[in-house]
Amino acid sequence: MSAVAAKPQAGGAINPGAMAVGIVLLIILLGIAYVVSPGIGLMALIGVIIGGVLIGFGVHFVPVGGAPAAMGQAPGIATGVAMLAAGAGLAGLFGGAWAAEQGLEMAVVTGAIGGGMMMAITCMMVNFVYVFGMGIPAASGKVAKDPITGDTQAEYKSQGTEGHGLPFVSFVGGVIGGILGGAGGTLIYIELLELYKTTLPGVMKVTSAQAEPIAVSVAGIFAIALFLVNAVLTAYNITGTIEGPHDPKFKRWPRAIVASAVASALCGLVAILIVVM
Amino acid sequence: MSVKVEVIEGGVPHSKILIAGFVGTLVCLYLTYLNVLTTHTGMFAFFGGLAAVIALIWGSHTIKVLCSYGIGTGVPSAGMIAFGSGTIAFLFATKFGDAAPIVAVVLAAVVGFILGWVSNNVLNMRIPAMVQALTEMAVVGALTLMGFAALMTGGFTFTGLTSVSVGTTMGTNTFLGGCLIAVAFLLGAIAIQHPFNACLGPGWKQDRMLMLTAECGFLSMIVAAIMSYALVDHVSATISLIVALVGWVYTYKEYIVLSRRDAAAWLDSKPIPEVEGH
Repeated sequence: MSAVAAKPQAGGAINPGAMAVGIVLLIILLGIAYVVSPGIGLMALIGVIIGGVLIGFGVHFVPVGGAPAAMGQAPGIATGVAMLAAGAGLAGLFGGAWAAEQGLEMAVVTGAIGGGMMMAITCMMVNFVYVFGMGIPAASGKVAKDPITGDTQAEYKSQGTEGHGLPFVSFVGGVIGGILGGAGGTLIYIELLELYKTTLPGVMKVTSAQAEPIAVSVAGIFAIALFLVNAVLTAYNITGTIEGPHDPKFKRWPRAIVASAVASALCGLVAILIVVM
Repeated sequence: MSVKVEVIEGGVPHSKILIAGFVGTLVCLYLTYLNVLTTHTGMFAFFGGLAAVIALIWGSHTIKVLCSYGIGTGVPSAGMIAFGSGTIAFLFATKFGDAAPIVAVVLAAVVGFILGWVSNNVLNMRIPAMVQALTEMAVVGALTLMGFAALMTGGFTFTGLTSVSVGTTMGTNTFLGGCLIAVAFLLGAIAIQHPFNACLGPGWKQDRMLMLTAECGFLSMIVAAIMSYALVDHVSATISLIVALVGWVYTYKEYIVLSRRDAAAWLDSKPIPEVEGH
């Protein structure tokens, strides 16, 4: 297949059959969790799935610019989803992990604030570099007016580009994405940490003090792994770049919800089987 | 976006690299089992590092197959999903003792297959190589982590990775307790995605990219070997370090030779230019 003759097949269309199969798969995975561990395991898995879906949905808000943004030819932050989501999510996750001892709600809120702050700082410094370093104004290529401020965009957009810089709506989207991602990552971590803290001493036949570092470490690496899987699947959904919540690609989010739920359920189930089998 | 930008021209076909990588990795992983057979030394831990290098070579070629289809998300994302899904399979597989590498392969293949199916159907990617590539990459991720685990601790079982030393109150001096797995994760994830990211383009040559992968793998192995001083005896760790250093120097020199072969021209510049008249 040559590059000229081939037509891009992936698009915004939703594949209802596959979505249905995905939901059935999700129910099967939840059923397995119910069979092997009806109490603590199932609750942990539900928490992991909610966290994964939050991450998948949150990434849609983040203005990912990729290589074109680095050249000032498209709006957004000039890197890929994997790096950006990992940065925001892990900042949130580390923030939330510090607050893990103060309960679930406090930890999740702290994680959300951590992720949101990381994205706010990133977005602001990106605009500093764009405006003062590269000398380009912020202009969206996808909408005529900024949905939040109402500023017109066309006057500031250079010819031959899809827009550049980071318009206000993208900034807000980035912060919302960071909040959702940080909260999701922390939720996964806390749920798995509670599960491992309860079960690992029995599985390994050691004291809870000896098992705690292992519980923290395994829950942390699982949270990072799940975060990256969800972020990359969402990146596939938006085919790499998105401007923020005003981008037409944002409407593809239902696909990412199903994909993230299935992926999180699958990976979360394996994470739970480690201690209950 | 399944526009295939470039085709695989020349070089070894992917199926051969797949089989060689798969067999080589498993053989090297099981060679670390000599540690258990020969009076519990850690001297054969370096085979774990070699397993990781072989798996990385296989994985970087899989990334080349997948990313030739212009998936639009950048090459690093492929490395991240490989290790994200691989970690999960690896940790579960360590519970199965001596069968751990086999379980890791099977479980990672299942996880990778489902993730590939989700990407292709639910997310409507419609990329022909997607399912196979994500399956392979999950296996590569799991086996690379297992290789690094074997290199750092001398074994690959859950007990070996978490066993609490007598007299300690906290289990921090282990592969999992000390979260060395996080370092192994990124050492592998960067080594698997960098070579194709660096070598892609019209001048792509298979042998040059794979040599760069080996070089990145040995570089990661050096770091892992230094970290293994904390977990295995010093003689074993030194053996691992020497193997890693020799491998890295050799592959680095070979990579420079191959780069010069493929370059249009090059200029040997001196590190500090001598300015006349001062």
